[in-house]
Amino acid sequence: MIACTTFLRRYRLALITFSPILLLLALIVFFPPNGKEGARWAHFIGRFHPLTVHFPIALILLVPVLEIAGRREPFSYLRLSSRFVLGLATLGAVFAAFLGWCLARSGSYSGEIVTQHMWGGATLAVTCWVCWVLRGRITGQHTEKLYAAALTVGVVVVSWTGYRGGQISQGEEHLTEYMPSLLRHAIGLSNEGPLLQAAAGSFYEVRVQPIFAERCVTCHGPKKQKSKLRLDSYGWLMRGGKHGAVIKPGNAQGSDLFRRITLSPDHDDFMPKEKRQPLPQDQLKVVELWIVAGASGTIPLDAIKDLPPGVSVAAAPVEVSFPEIDLAAVAKAREGIASEVAQLQVKFPSILNYESRGSGDLVLNASVLGIKFGDADVAAFASVAEHITVADLSRTSITDQAASAIARMKHLRVLRVSQTKITDATVKALSGLDQLESLNVYGTEVTAAALPLIQKLPRLKHFYPGHPGTGPGR
Amino acid sequence: MNSELQMMILQAQTRRHFLRSLGSGMGSLFLGTSVANYAAAASSKGEKSGLSFARDAATPLSQLPPQFPAKVRRVIFLHMAGAPSQLELYDYKPELKRLDGQDCPASFLAGKRFAFISGVPKLLGSQYPFKQAGQSGQWISDRLPHIAAHADEICFIKSMRTDQFNHAPAQLLVHTGNPRLGYPSFGSWVLYGLGTENQNLPGFIVLLSGGKSPDGGKQLWSSGFLPSVYQGVQCRPHGEPVLYLNNPAGVDRLLRRTMLDAIDDIDWQTYAEFGNPETVTRIAQYEMAFRMQMDATDAMNINKEPESVRTKYGCKPVGAEFANNCLVARRLAERGVRFIQLYHWGWDSHGAEAKEALNLGFNDRCREVDQPTGALLSDLRERGLLEDTLLVWGGEFGRTPMRENRNGQEMKYVGRDHNPGAFTIWLAGGGVKNGITYGQTDEMGYEIVKDPVDIRDLHATMLYMLGFDYRKLTYSFQGLEQKLTSVKPARVVGEILA
Repeated sequence: MIACTTFLRRYRLALITFSPILLLLALIVFFPPNGKEGARWAHFIGRFHPLTVHFPIALILLVPVLEIAGRREPFSYLRLSSRFVLGLATLGAVFAAFLGWCLARSGSYSGEIVTQHMWGGATLAVTCWVCWVLRGRITGQHTEKLYAAALTVGVVVVSWTGYRGGQISQGEEHLTEYMPSLLRHAIGLSNEGPLLQAAAGSFYEVRVQPIFAERCVTCHGPKKQKSKLRLDSYGWLMRGGKHGAVIKPGNAQGSDLFRRITLSPDHDDFMPKEKRQPLPQDQLKVVELWIVAGASGTIPLDAIKDLPPGVSVAAAPVEVSFPEIDLAAVAKAREGIASEVAQLQVKFPSILNYESRGSGDLVLNASVLGIKFGDADVAAFASVAEHITVADLSRTSITDQAASAIARMKHLRVLRVSQTKITDATVKALSGLDQLESLNVYGTEVTAAALPLIQKLPRLKHFYPGHPGTGPGR
Repeated sequence: MNSELQMMILQAQTRRHFLRSLGSGMGSLFLGTSVANYAAAASSKGEKSGLSFARDAATPLSQLPPQFPAKVRRVIFLHMAGAPSQLELYDYKPELKRLDGQDCPASFLAGKRFAFISGVPKLLGSQYPFKQAGQSGQWISDRLPHIAAHADEICFIKSMRTDQFNHAPAQLLVHTGNPRLGYPSFGSWVLYGLGTENQNLPGFIVLLSGGKSPDGGKQLWSSGFLPSVYQGVQCRPHGEPVLYLNNPAGVDRLLRRTMLDAIDDIDWQTYAEFGNPETVTRIAQYEMAFRMQMDATDAMNINKEPESVRTKYGCKPVGAEFANNCLVARRLAERGVRFIQLYHWGWDSHGAEAKEALNLGFNDRCREVDQPTGALLSDLRERGLLEDTLLVWGGEFGRTPMRENRNGQEMKYVGRDHNPGAFTIWLAGGGVKNGITYGQTDEMGYEIVKDPVDIRDLHATMLYMLGFDYRKLTYSFQGLEQKLTSVKPARVVGEILA
């Protein structure tokens, strides 16, 4: 009894000062942050947490400096102030932790990191108090060592808690995000780096994001964030929700998101909720393959094979450009042929034209003249033959007699001789057209015997056979 | 030439110029000269950039090369007048099907205007099942089996939007880039920019089917402020494609020629006197009609096709049938007609009467267009024409995921109201990627959630395929360099370009 009173008297001050800490611990144990909207006053004072929190941090880190520097004779007076600084630090830590709890209760925060940060703050307050008590009772080497150990714990706890706090306010990767790659390598991080945005044209953006956009973002998007989860960008997805990460790269079955969308629809955890249709098999497969392949935001569209025949969606934004026409270059390209072209345009109105305003290549479309255009007329274009890149002679009255004149158009990319009287002989004559990309002999007597010759044309992409079904098609 | 310049000056005198010269403090006395300089400056600007559309007055339809090498040389536009329901045809929405019959959420109705819906309508799931088609796995309604067979050749844009929710202005917007009257149609711009390939046929031909003209009327193929020689020529479904094209009894071709020469002489005198380009248009039209006597009747005559081809399209012997028009479109494409515009009326599925109900008349519309559209695609593909032809299929806006409830009452037939916020069109042929879908709507098919495409974006994209920068295909009118996409910035949808 007497011992007890003595103890109480001896440690009265210490115990009185511990009571705010006890109150704080009680608060965070019985009223933990639950992600629900709190009172307005909690919002208001909670906002001061980031402002006040740096005060105890600085003070706690100052104490070891004072203690170590004070070991030197000229600075010995510094050690005298360390207990006072510790006292301030304890006060600051308790106050900041209380504001932190208010902020967490305001409803904007919850999740693993917040919980860890909160307990870090509480531990720090306790540690500061312990240091403060010990500092006042250093009697010998034994207590000195104990004090030094407690102080070290304090420094470690403040660093760890501060890091967690930084993750809450600036994102989980705030320290490593812009780390130089050498350093990243040294601490064992992959150099791909966790990107906040998926790369344009990546598999994620083209195949995965549209699925979430269609089925999930109504509840997990900019307007609503059920369970604190957003699925409207790669960054949000990988950040996870209040139950932590929802994607485990490489492990589809272990990823909470995939587990939920593959459950039976009457399961409590099933997504999408509210009796919505489950995701169809092909979409599930796309998500699964993507997670298995590493859940990357950068892997290209073609990196994942064996996809179900899903709806292919147009890829990344493509901006077209409109080049200016270089008149000098045009004049140069047309230099040798301009007068011949002009003469031919008079003789054969509206069938010969430059391919474009900026080009010296020619397009010949004799098909509009029909049977009035014959073998002799093809020969009339000999002087400009090498500049003709597109020739449409369909439905004209040309025969195999025109073959040599056509063969002279060495730079032809497109040749149409459909519905004419040409035969395999013309095709034989065309073997030198190594630029030809499209050949149309639809409705002619060209037979399957000409196919081997056609297959030898190096650039040919489209072939329209004489009778549909007799050739490789396009 | 001088008189033509005079005409240009007169035409170019507008309030804009008046105010401008007033502002410059030089007074309207100098207006004439300043405008003349302006016109001269404009044409020399065109020449400097290599993009003048000036032509000899006698040949306003002569060919001009495109600005850039073009992927597409001609367009076949299949317009489904009345706005077909994307939710019954192309935009697959299983979630909407699940919520069928439930009250429409209030958020769908807030701030929205509808033609007929009032009170709280019910959600309406698709009336027809969807299936995945082709290698690309695109979802298409079972009403369109022939089109579905071409799924791998089609590029769907499921995120089209418009700002017009009534038929006539919305159709005008689709075809002229402007919801008001008086603007040139797409085909007219193309003719103005490129001229016509086949001098014996109009370069811009319009064919109607479905029993009625589209709500926007003939303005949809008018040349607006462009010289009227660029307007679309509507052809009749059978007999003479254009009335009185053929010579009357007792008049032979030579007599006709002599008569035309006399008329031309008088017209040229008139032109020399007044310089009105419309006189030249008149001369050109007479000459065109004379040349058309040879070719047009032949081009429009589907009976020249073998029986098997006509069966493939599902042609009827006579009548304004979409199938017949599709076959004519293919024949015209072969003959170098630049812009072939088909209209099929009857897609306005409000459900107010049986012939326009989703569960009744809509079926007939699908049957009328599905087989011919599929046949046209196969035919163009087989003949190698799809390589440089652009095929466009679509209406003027979309339809609501809510069932129409005129005056707040449940109606006898099933229908949907107008939805300008989202609709589907598709493209196929040269210049576009095959078997893809661009853009996305929400789970109800009500609003666009990804990659919206405005009408002007579609126009800019189509012009790009035809070899033009939409900002450079311009015509000076009322003091403004007028263009198809109007003054708002447009975007070429590069993602769908092959």
